[in-house]
Amino acid sequence: MHGKPAGDGAKKIATGGSKGHMNLFFLSIWIVGSGGVLALLLSGKFSAMKTVAALVIVAGCCLGMLDALSKLTQEGSAQASFSYLNTLSLEFRIDGLSAFFLMAIFAISMLAALYSFHYMADDGKPLRTAANYLFFSLLIVSMALVVTAANMVAFLLAWEIMSLSSFFLVIHDYQAAENRKAGYLYFVFSHVGAMFIFAAFGIIYSQTGSFGFEATGLSPALKVVAFVFAFIGFGSKAGVFPFHVWLPHAHPAAPSHISAVMSGVMIKTGIYGILRMYTFLDLHAPSVGIMVLVFGMVSGILGVVYALGQHDLKRLLAYHSVENIGIILIGIGIGIIGVEAENPIMAVLGFAGGLLHVLNHAIFKSLLFMGAGMVLHQTGTRTIDALGGLMKNMKITGVTFLIGSLAISGLPPLNGFVSEFFIYMGSFRGISAQTLVFVPSLLAVVSLAIIGGLALACFTKVVGVVFQGEPRSQAARDVAEKGPAMLVPMVLLAGACGVIGIYPGAFMFMVVKAVTALGLDYGRIPMEPFAGMSANITLGATVFLAALLALLALRRFLYQGKPVTRSGTWGCGFTRPTTRMQYTGSSYAASILEFFRPAAPLEESHPPVKGLFPQKTHYHSHVHDIVEQSLEPFIVRPVGWLFDRLRWMQHGDIHLYIGYILLAIVVLLFFV
Amino acid sequence: MIESILLWSFALLTTPLFAGVIFKVKAFFGGRKGSPLLINYYTLIKLFKKGSVYSTSTTFIFRMGPLVSLAAGAVALLFLPLAGHSPVMSFHGDVIFVLYLLGLARFFTIAAAMDTASPFEGMGAAREAYFPIICEASMFMILILFYRLTGELNMAAYFSVAQPLGFWQVAGSSMLFVVIAFFIILLTENARVPVDDPATHLELTMIHEVMVLDHSGPDFGLIEMGAFVKMFFYASIVSRLIFPFELGSPILNLAVFFAGALLVYVAVGVVESIMARYRMDRVPKFVLTSFALAFFATVITLEFLK
Repeated sequence: MHGKPAGDGAKKIATGGSKGHMNLFFLSIWIVGSGGVLALLLSGKFSAMKTVAALVIVAGCCLGMLDALSKLTQEGSAQASFSYLNTLSLEFRIDGLSAFFLMAIFAISMLAALYSFHYMADDGKPLRTAANYLFFSLLIVSMALVVTAANMVAFLLAWEIMSLSSFFLVIHDYQAAENRKAGYLYFVFSHVGAMFIFAAFGIIYSQTGSFGFEATGLSPALKVVAFVFAFIGFGSKAGVFPFHVWLPHAHPAAPSHISAVMSGVMIKTGIYGILRMYTFLDLHAPSVGIMVLVFGMVSGILGVVYALGQHDLKRLLAYHSVENIGIILIGIGIGIIGVEAENPIMAVLGFAGGLLHVLNHAIFKSLLFMGAGMVLHQTGTRTIDALGGLMKNMKITGVTFLIGSLAISGLPPLNGFVSEFFIYMGSFRGISAQTLVFVPSLLAVVSLAIIGGLALACFTKVVGVVFQGEPRSQAARDVAEKGPAMLVPMVLLAGACGVIGIYPGAFMFMVVKAVTALGLDYGRIPMEPFAGMSANITLGATVFLAALLALLALRRFLYQGKPVTRSGTWGCGFTRPTTRMQYTGSSYAASILEFFRPAAPLEESHPPVKGLFPQKTHYHSHVHDIVEQSLEPFIVRPVGWLFDRLRWMQHGDIHLYIGYILLAIVVLLFFV
Repeated sequence: MIESILLWSFALLTTPLFAGVIFKVKAFFGGRKGSPLLINYYTLIKLFKKGSVYSTSTTFIFRMGPLVSLAAGAVALLFLPLAGHSPVMSFHGDVIFVLYLLGLARFFTIAAAMDTASPFEGMGAAREAYFPIICEASMFMILILFYRLTGELNMAAYFSVAQPLGFWQVAGSSMLFVVIAFFIILLTENARVPVDDPATHLELTMIHEVMVLDHSGPDFGLIEMGAFVKMFFYASIVSRLIFPFELGSPILNLAVFFAGALLVYVAVGVVESIMARYRMDRVPKFVLTSFALAFFATVITLEFLK
């Protein structure tokens, strides 16, 4: 547990030698890191510790975000390098792509740190809270380093710190067996994923002999192999179907501000990795684009189908991350296909839409997780069907959650629509092309349409069952929202959803900057078409809002001097309704799930009602994740069997162990 | 521009009249005299004069529902060329914007229904969330076909360009499929038989009607108006698909356009009179037919355009 912080410290000492324009960046991660260390030092005084840690982390993130924003407006890139233990050189570089991800990472982490101040309210466990702040700050620092690393060593070092620090955050509440299982699953997935990334880097290193991000001299076939390995590795971090199994377990287990950061930005480092690999491998294989697109489509559709079947609010949101990663990959896939088809407009629109969706998803998903955290904090339950009617007592949470839901469903005039709009525009560009481009484009358009419809169904379920209607259990009755530190981030994020949705122009500028850094050889990407499209979205949104306001005025006029009374809901003549008769989330989703039954098998248990005086009965349903279901028979058992056969090697005799090492070195000497 | 706005306002005002036609057709098939053609105006005036009763379970979302659905419908109509006339507004990609705007209206209609805590409204909402997913997919399939034919992504290009025979000239057989597919979408999206029965008396079997059970007074009037506008939006697209002609004089164009729309409403009335509603679990298959038709329509053009 202490190995990693020490390694981090060693790196920070080395930052003294940094040069160029990255000083502010290193200063900001220094501040963030010291926030975590200060928390540990102050762990005796609970509220002082929280205040100091949250404030210092917020300050560091704020500085980092401003620095990233200024980098986005500048030309060129900033670099820094120093050697680690005098053997390996660590290089860092901030170009447009890095700056774009940095902005998202720092912005979301800043608000999450603020949110944590009132969320971490259990003063019975000061040391654990302090450890949480330490790992949280390490997570922010390592994410920032991942997206700025400019060689393999630096990248993998930061990547491992990121995986481990988030692992400790997932098992924050380690006393629950469920959370330990989630943590274990996450640990296994992130390390198997890392293994694939090592393999990809190994292939590249074996040909180039350098740790830098360059791939000169690699044969096209090897490039594809390296990309596929890296895609599996980064995909398992990003939560691409079928490598997503850890996500729906880990997100509910972690504290809500951590879920917000993990789902909002940490999984996006996987997307960053895929983009970075694509850029420096300089791939020219149409199959790669189709592969990315198909993974995106499957993740997108199945992610939202599984989300519909969930009963746990945070698990549902976790599956929506799988869906949104799918949308991002559809954008990137369209981008890559556009490059191969020599259709620059399609390529730029695809990449730009995908990247803007990275930012948008970071915003609305962290907003939704914070809202879910507030619900969990105040009611003590995450079970959707136990909640209801929260809108009346939790106004700010309810309204911001509603805005987040509209945004994630991709509806205008909010930000989710903007990025999907650009991906659509890119995909339609491919429609007029020949078959090899037409078919993927058609699939992208249709799957985006289906994902949009399903997401709408899923979020009307969440909003309708959790926030509307009447409370379904005692837990949801008489709750109130509290903690301004939790409410302010939600309001800010909801505001951001609206601003990007109505005025996407400035954000498109940043996105185009990031796309330029992808090195697509288009020279300068002209801003005019993007400005034009953004202006169109602004126009449409404004007209709609104006129409809405006009109708609001009309409605007010129509109700002038009219009697308005309140009464019970019309129960179709039934006089004794109870809140338990409301439609539940399970029943709401049932018919759609029925349609997708082959992909999402539904298990129901419902003892039938028997006799004249029947016993109490129950209904329980569970939607199986087919990947999770097949993990046990197809992966876990064969691997277990194999290792069982190899147990004789592990006999506890230390001399023979040393012999193994010796043998391995001798064998390696012959081969290398 | 002024003409377009005038046309838009005129269309908005006539939508209740067209919806009255359906009642007349149904009355004709039932051997009755039926309600007057202007019945919907009388209903609207009656509703606007009333006050409202709100359920104690509801929040502000319940009152937002009618506003958002009407606003979305009216704005959608702004982008649609009426009678071949250029629309009030148009930009590259406006089709996607309009389709998603209608999605927003659906979100709020569903949310308003869920606000009442009524199990019936929840049931209707679940169906309203389900069937349009397939509609949306088939709508985008049709859009793909139109994009292949025109290379444009705005409704002005599809429905206002002066071509003697419209799309029928280049892809006649596809257009036959598209018209049927679009008619199925129209029936589904506007809660008509055989997907939903607006005249049924049993709440359990309704979709749209059950979702608005608790709305009353002016709010309900706005919902009705929103439904009329949405219906007209789809009907005028079908009208333009079947009569894509340019007749030279604006008056004639207008006459043909409204005759086409009238034909669609009559067709809806006829379907409603001679068919029963499908069992709920059959509806998805019916709606999927439209997707299949749209898909085949696109596949056919692949060959033609080579």
